[in-house]
Amino acid sequence: MKRYCTAILSLLLMASFRTEPKRIVMLGKEAPAFSLTATDGRIVQLHDFDSAKGLIVVFTCNHCPFARLYTDRFNALADRYTPLKVPLIAINPMDSLLYETETLEGMRVFAASMQYHFSYLQDRTQQVAAAFHATHTPQVFVLWRENSKWIIRYQGAIDNNGQHPELAAPFVAQAVDALLRGDTIAQPERLSLGCEINYRK
Amino acid sequence: MCFLFMFCRNNTRSVINREGMTATDRLKQTNHPAFMRKFSFLLSLAFLQTGLSHFVHAQYNPMSIPDTLSGKVFNLNIRDTFQQIVAGNQTITGGINGSFWGPTLIFRKGDSVHMNVHNFLNDSTTLHWHGMHLPAVMDGGPHQVLPPGALWQPYWKVTNNAGTYWYHPHLHEMTEAQIIKGIGGLIIVRDAIEDALALPRRYGVDDIPLVLTDRKFDALNQFQIAPYGDTMMVNGTVRPEYTIPAQVVRLRILDGATERSYNIGFSDNRTFYVITSDDGLLDKPVPLTRYLLSPGERIELLVNCNGQSGTSVNLVAYNAALTPQIAGGESFPTGLFANALGHKDFNMLHLNIGPVSSPAVTAIPAALTVNTFPAASAAAVTRTINITDSAGAPGAGPLAFLLNHKLFDINYINYTVPLNNTEIWELASTSTFAHPFHIHDVAFNILSINGAAPPAEQAGWKDVVLVKANQTVRFIARFEDYADAIHPFMYHCHIALHEDGGMMGQFVVNNTSSIDPASLPAKGYTLYPNPAGDHIYLKAQDGSSQVYYISVIDMAGRTLMMLPRPELSAGIDISCLPPGTYIMQITDEKTKAKTNATFFKN
Repeated sequence: MKRYCTAILSLLLMASFRTEPKRIVMLGKEAPAFSLTATDGRIVQLHDFDSAKGLIVVFTCNHCPFARLYTDRFNALADRYTPLKVPLIAINPMDSLLYETETLEGMRVFAASMQYHFSYLQDRTQQVAAAFHATHTPQVFVLWRENSKWIIRYQGAIDNNGQHPELAAPFVAQAVDALLRGDTIAQPERLSLGCEINYRK
Repeated sequence: MCFLFMFCRNNTRSVINREGMTATDRLKQTNHPAFMRKFSFLLSLAFLQTGLSHFVHAQYNPMSIPDTLSGKVFNLNIRDTFQQIVAGNQTITGGINGSFWGPTLIFRKGDSVHMNVHNFLNDSTTLHWHGMHLPAVMDGGPHQVLPPGALWQPYWKVTNNAGTYWYHPHLHEMTEAQIIKGIGGLIIVRDAIEDALALPRRYGVDDIPLVLTDRKFDALNQFQIAPYGDTMMVNGTVRPEYTIPAQVVRLRILDGATERSYNIGFSDNRTFYVITSDDGLLDKPVPLTRYLLSPGERIELLVNCNGQSGTSVNLVAYNAALTPQIAGGESFPTGLFANALGHKDFNMLHLNIGPVSSPAVTAIPAALTVNTFPAASAAAVTRTINITDSAGAPGAGPLAFLLNHKLFDINYINYTVPLNNTEIWELASTSTFAHPFHIHDVAFNILSINGAAPPAEQAGWKDVVLVKANQTVRFIARFEDYADAIHPFMYHCHIALHEDGGMMGQFVVNNTSSIDPASLPAKGYTLYPNPAGDHIYLKAQDGSSQVYYISVIDMAGRTLMMLPRPELSAGIDISCLPPGTYIMQITDEKTKAKTNATFFKN
């Protein structure tokens, strides 16, 4: 009995210890607008894409070993869906005070070495990631243009196997395919995993 | 983009000698083709494991053996990373120089060892050298916080006896989460006394490190931050198997779990021989069939496999025999403590006994060493630590576990111990639960458990003792060598959940003969050359000044280097810093006054 009480107490204690970011589901909500600098120096805004059907927004970074497994898959998604009017952009939300490698210069070098086919934007103040309630890199939000608004229709993982894409269920591709067909997405939220985004206090 | 992979020049000095080989290298050196073939086969499967996720469905997986690092300079890079542990998606982990757990550090008693600890985590951490006798400022406790990106360079002279020690994070309130991620590693100390004994000491061959842990995986194969796991792991391997030679084999076992004790035995109930307690050799091997190992505790044991080639035996946790007051002896169907291994016997490791590997040790030695412990009459003081369920202490819930009725306060020094004191600590528990009590700085000798002498296997040098419900344990220790009025040492319950919850206290060891710091004026320092190249030198305006601590901070406010009591004669190696302007914060040894100086790195 005593141990049960301890368990309850410990749960309370645990809750106060956890620094895991709280998961907030953004599905069906209007996407936060943004205006960020890309590695090529251009300013890229959400509304630059208003004539597209959808937009794949990837939160990722340079240093995270798990995110680095996905660089080819980002390129493949961009190659496959940009012609179908669903382009892809990547946003780096990491605190460049914590990680020197996550500066715009570091991103430029990384994007070049990974031969990114898409815009790689720096969220220097972390405000955009915070507005999306992004928790990890890599994490994807699929936005869809509906009634002149950008609505979040999928959020979460790219797939379910970081190291072995050949074994993975391609969640993002399935979601975009469903949206292109006009179908609903079978499971519009998948938990993402990777490196935690440490928000500056 | 050089800073993507920047390292200080002294990061390249690690000596990879015979003991720095990987397990594979070592096995290649054995002279027995059959033995080698079998191991090569197992090891090649081990490598395939990361590539073929279906392999983890096999009955047993080849147990991983941590690589070793030896020499006098040790480079440890702590990272967020991932590992294929169960079939399907990879598990996000923390690793040191690898993807789960860290290298085994091999020290020689008498050597000065220098650590380059680089924190590449997304969060602050600390690295505590569990069991090592060293200055408090090098100890890696909750006060030596290593911010992301920082390089920490503690060093000390190894004075511990030959034995098995370990290192792990100790960041207050984050210890459980960071240990569960997999951050930690073993330390093996060697010395002349142990060298002279006929003991197995070929790492990974007849001297096998075993880190016992358990983990709970969620539906996405990720570690859950929970006290108990459902899945037993040894050295990070689920359902492990390993082949040992048909002779006397040494197992170095650490309970690296955050909560669970393991009641260790063999499936055929064979006798094994315990040769060490936490901090070195026992006087002679102690024959046992069970040993209850608790979090933080280490034993080395010998198991006699002479003539048993072709057979196998399991290392088992006989936890069904544990009462509910012992962590792992309870069985909860639901809630935070629910797990698949509670109050159950379960296999930990499948051991195949292969051919003999020469040179083989075939006998259990009759005697090991002659330990001399301080006599109880030598103690200057007896300190009593009451271990209680909280009973409503301020700030604690109704049933946390406490030491002396107080929650840990990082700004409060619970005891001041005079340097060179011999002390008795009396751990008096009225708690309903058993707590593995650990103290930093010293190894102790148990005088009594409820008034009776400790069992022979616990009668050596230790740094963790399981204090069961309503027990009183008395130990004696000498607080020698390292005084520091600022940085304290910790004592705490090694169940990480309890420790994080405040079941911890701290003491400083004080040199009472030292000069009153208030009487000393703060002194200035000059840095030269400035601008500097790869090295910068420090000159005190008062030649007798000594430096207690140096931090190097960049103009964005990042702490990039943390140098406790740096050795200054050869200058400070700043080759890891990109060109720019930096602030050096210098803390004086005597006055503890801080001086800031700015320098430029070319």
